Amino acid sequence: MNLVFTAIVLVSSIILIFTNPSEVFPSMIEGVGGAIDLCFKLCAIYAVWLSVLKIMEKTGLDSGLARLLRPVIRRLFKGESDESEKWISVNLASNMLGMGGASTPAGIKAMASMEKGAKATANMDLLVVINATSIQLIPATIIALRASAGSGNPSSIIAPTLISSTIATVVGVVLTKLFSKDNEDNKPSITQKLKMKLHDFIKRLKTKNSTKSKNKKSGGRP
Amino acid sequence: MSIYILPVIIVALFLYAIVKRVKVYDCFLEGGREGLALVKGVFPYVATIYIAIVLFKVSGLSHHLATALSVPMGYLGIPPEITELMMLVPISGSGTIALVEEVIAEFGVDSYVAKCASVVAGGSETIFYISAVYLSKCKVKHLNRAIPISLFCTLLGTVIGCALCRVM
Repeated sequence: MNLVFTAIVLVSSIILIFTNPSEVFPSMIEGVGGAIDLCFKLCAIYAVWLSVLKIMEKTGLDSGLARLLRPVIRRLFKGESDESEKWISVNLASNMLGMGGASTPAGIKAMASMEKGAKATANMDLLVVINATSIQLIPATIIALRASAGSGNPSSIIAPTLISSTIATVVGVVLTKLFSKDNEDNKPSITQKLKMKLHDFIKRLKTKNSTKSKNKKSGGRP
Repeated sequence: MSIYILPVIIVALFLYAIVKRVKVYDCFLEGGREGLALVKGVFPYVATIYIAIVLFKVSGLSHHLATALSVPMGYLGIPPEITELMMLVPISGSGTIALVEEVIAEFGVDSYVAKCASVVAGGSETIFYISAVYLSKCKVKHLNRAIPISLFCTLLGTVIGCALCRVM
């Protein structure tokens, strides 16, 4: 994050020095102004949705939802507490139903309850990846936009959107499971890992082939 | 049809709360209090991202990068107009919607490019915003691999989405 931020700010500022030097500070301040506007909106959204979530909590509905989604969540997020499972299920369910206002506060609570030690855990990575590649059942805003622009078939985009974002989410989960692991003291880099994985794969292929051709002669390899 | 789903869920929840003898008024007070605290925690993250976004746009860097990337993206079947959208998608939700509107106005709502833009915007999330805001209540300040993985998956989703728009 530090790298991305510094790179964007540095390169943009350098360009602006040549093209429009008086714009550097005003645009930064304009940015924070936009952030304040957004935060006011977020404050309203959070206040309403956190109240709704509170009612769900007090009526025990959130535990019910967690029980309903537990088979899926247990499999994806191994070794999390009931508290985390509850917030994860609220987060994922509201995301799929398009209730974005409820999913962010639930997600923040889930992340806080999943935290262990000084490093982000693999499960925290996974929750962010699932949210960032969110499977949306009905992209309501875009459909409304298309309808108001006079489209002949505004909902024609549902199927391609659902398919492409589902594939993105599934690949995201697989990649996170592959590359984001906990408790590694001497972490190999991504490229090293890829090499190792490839090596393993080739080895397995070779073993398979040789067992096939030699007929069980070379079984029991590590 | 879909406009009724949310209100009906909320009304059902209120009724259920009455049955369960939950104090709805108190819940809203607590919700408001928590909401304020949450926004206070989220603000520095949002402000920082917004500074980067505005500089990114005002300097023309986003435009230059999109033009530079449109050639390799073309090989993946992504139209040049979508490349700029793709760069905006991970950082700004409102910016994404505005650009989709522009594309629709320029090419017509049922054109191939406008359909691609709709699919890309519909299946996307603001990755940088999510990954920053979700950590706002944690002591940990950095994720491991979530951002590169999410960005890669968004690219993958865009390629697949643009390909699907050709046939669907």
